[in-house]
Amino acid sequence: MNMLPPLPTSKWNEATAAHLLNRAAFGGTPEEIEATRRKGLALAVRDLVDVRSETAELPPPKWAHPRNIAAIRMEAREAKANPDAENKKRELRMMEGEEIVDLRRWWLERMMNGPAPLLEKMTLFWHGHFATSAQKVRDMYWMWLQNDTLRRHALGNFATLTKKISRDPAMMIYLDLQQNRPVHPNENWARELMELFTVGIGNYTEDDIRESARAFTGYRLDLTNQQFRFVPRQHDPTNKTFMGHTGPLDGDNIIDILVSKPACAQFIGRKLWRYFVEDEPSNAIVDLVAKTIRAHGFEMRPVLHEIFSSAEFYSERAMRAQIKSPVQYIVQTCKQLDAPLPSPIVAQNAMRQMGQLLFAPPNVKGWDGGKTWITTSTLLFRYNFANYLINGDAILPPGAGGKTAGPGFQRPLQRGANQIRRDPIDVAKLVPAELRDRPDELVDLLSARLFQTRAGDKERATFVQYLEARKPDTSDATMRGLVHLMMSTPQFQLA
Amino acid sequence: MLGAAATWTLPIFLEKTFFALDAMAAEALTQSATGKDGTILVVLQLAGGNDGLNTVVPFGDDAYYRARPRLGLAADKLLKIDNHIALNGKLSGLKSLYDDGHLAVVQGVGYPNPNRSHFRSTEIWQTASDAERNENHGWLGRYFDNQCAGCDPTVGVAIGDEMPQAFAAKNPTGVTFSRPEQFRYRSSSREEDFFRQLNEPGEDDARSTIAPDGASIGNLAGASNGGASTLDFLQRTALDAQLSSDKILEIARKYKSTVAYPTTQLGASLNIIARMIAGGLTTRVYYASQGGFDTHAGQIGAHERLLGDFNDAITAFVVDLKQQGNFERVLLMTFSEFGRRVQENANGGTDHGTAAPMFVLGGKVKAGLLGKYPSLTDLDRGDLKFNTDFRSVYGTVLDQWLKAPSQSVLGRKFAALPLLQM
Repeated sequence: MNMLPPLPTSKWNEATAAHLLNRAAFGGTPEEIEATRRKGLALAVRDLVDVRSETAELPPPKWAHPRNIAAIRMEAREAKANPDAENKKRELRMMEGEEIVDLRRWWLERMMNGPAPLLEKMTLFWHGHFATSAQKVRDMYWMWLQNDTLRRHALGNFATLTKKISRDPAMMIYLDLQQNRPVHPNENWARELMELFTVGIGNYTEDDIRESARAFTGYRLDLTNQQFRFVPRQHDPTNKTFMGHTGPLDGDNIIDILVSKPACAQFIGRKLWRYFVEDEPSNAIVDLVAKTIRAHGFEMRPVLHEIFSSAEFYSERAMRAQIKSPVQYIVQTCKQLDAPLPSPIVAQNAMRQMGQLLFAPPNVKGWDGGKTWITTSTLLFRYNFANYLINGDAILPPGAGGKTAGPGFQRPLQRGANQIRRDPIDVAKLVPAELRDRPDELVDLLSARLFQTRAGDKERATFVQYLEARKPDTSDATMRGLVHLMMSTPQFQLA
Repeated sequence: MLGAAATWTLPIFLEKTFFALDAMAAEALTQSATGKDGTILVVLQLAGGNDGLNTVVPFGDDAYYRARPRLGLAADKLLKIDNHIALNGKLSGLKSLYDDGHLAVVQGVGYPNPNRSHFRSTEIWQTASDAERNENHGWLGRYFDNQCAGCDPTVGVAIGDEMPQAFAAKNPTGVTFSRPEQFRYRSSSREEDFFRQLNEPGEDDARSTIAPDGASIGNLAGASNGGASTLDFLQRTALDAQLSSDKILEIARKYKSTVAYPTTQLGASLNIIARMIAGGLTTRVYYASQGGFDTHAGQIGAHERLLGDFNDAITAFVVDLKQQGNFERVLLMTFSEFGRRVQENANGGTDHGTAAPMFVLGGKVKAGLLGKYPSLTDLDRGDLKFNTDFRSVYGTVLDQWLKAPSQSVLGRKFAALPLLQM
């Protein structure tokens, strides 16, 4: 049944358990890794993948409900002559800003403490796949609604998810789908649907784009309740010829045709494998994953089940070889330090400066990931941010606003952001008192926590040297200094 | 040519990894992307959509005053270039540059099928893509990818908190900071030496991660050992970060400008750039931005203030470069995601528009008005029709200033403009 050869149970150990948590979740503490190991591979994977659907039902942020924005806009237009109009606008902007900061906080907390880390990780995968930015959408209810849709279908059927996304208001605004008219087709959505969301470049023609754009006509937004609405009289019901099919095709027909193409399973398979396993998968592996996806009719749950149970997932070249995304970095580090997430504004600034701001991917292609996370600037930022997370008192670079930064970075919200302090980590939670003056054991213990493996020989020697040089000082500050040093390494960037 | 260039005391082996490729590239036909005596490009973004009509003012056209009863600028307050066109009265420094032969004004710059969203139009300018296409790498990033694989990490320096999309690349390089002091490792001094040890290459850069017990679990042939190459990459970047941080901090310490810059954000940014140039940083591309140009309401005072800040910062920068003897090496180019609607709105402001002028200035720039001022009556949905594609400006700068083949960066050839003294 399995396309991907499974991992022999004899290979299930602390290292493989840690790897599963690193990739299918946001990492774990030594205790969580041990608990996962004890479950055994099959149960550990099942617990992650077979999350109950109720877990998607956690309450939304309190401001996330539909409004009658048609009326709000009308009011704003009428108020235009009014000198207060600018103040009103500024107020609205501030509200937008507060909402997006809160939305980012809300999602990070779900990743950190939520009951279904894989569900969040897959939601993040789809957020990067169906990339949509608040900078253009400018309505945080719609951004939340998309996130909710992604989560509800994150582990479900890909075709269903794609159809939902074609009716998702945030996406419709982002790719101008609601401006698509029979007489003036807007091809932005149709093009990206093929190039970025399903089959990939080279697997469709310009005619396919033109024809399918007509199939997606009649997709509209109801501004009185912020919901999708299909308007039959704005739909082009005439025949279209798309990838060899001719008929009065509609949008869902187009998506079904695309998903039936072998290129689609390849495209999604490669992307999934890159996200969960390795940057440069071999063609042989992509073929196998694509076969798995087709065998399961694009149902994500069984596909992920196979991936996380496979020997390839745990291969030597995959383990400890992925550069943590900025979001992974923040969540996993806080878990490992047994410390809370940084304040919402600080977290937001940090995501931006590391290059992965939730709800604001750089463009419709999402985040490239892999090595593009790391430049000299972002690496130094990671090292300094680690210092902040550990010691709490270092002043972070400002991450100041300016209009180009988008919602959430308005000056009033940012005021004092670089002076937000945080409690230093509780060293006692990480370091047993009796190990403080035993450098070798201490370094190995912390390596297991921070690297899920031994430190490299050279690094290990340096950490020990640091402790020897500090002797007899074994204060909290010295311990925190050690943790900071260990996190200021290339090795810590890997998961 | 820079007598004052700082000297570096790097261990020999570092010096080699750092500069060897540079020397090799210098022998190639095209110019390498780093080098102490090379030409320098400074890109200045006017974020928010600068009102081109009130920047380079068509005061000779009645249609201008008809469309802008409140915002139209009186002819006697303008700095006239000819009988038709003048610079905003706040742009006195730019006018002097023009008169001295060092400022080119490219008129009516835009692109086909203009997009009026800040986000999308900025993206188009940053990636130099067609309006119908989405491109994820920036035009400067593609220049870095093409010209300087493996070269000095300070090839591009952006002043700000976030790498501009123009720098996004397959292999991102370049450095981003708001203040040089930020671009350094922060820790207590007792950690500092150990940190250096950790982030320098060792004798044996063996992979420091170890496999789980039982060597190779997977059995399908992988492309390469992903872990080792990723770790190598991280180690190289860590070393680069340390070296460029040292270099930038040293320059920031050594070179203080004697010119008084305005205390604005742009003033500070250009001041940093001037110091980096004075210190001989091998950067070829600098990036800075000024925000606030989204003047939907109450434009008149706000826009003048913005242009005043712009003018004063540029003026100080030019004086500084001249004192350094570097004015001939530097070309500064401005851009904004769009101009603004011809007709003013009911709030004494202007809404998002299309075509607008770009400024290009420097010691080797040929002064003049390039392109044609767009008609104020033959409009596209109330907006100016562009007549020079912004990629013509990019292409000219790439080919003639940075000596990099523009076609491989921009995907195709755009008509060159006579921007430079030849």
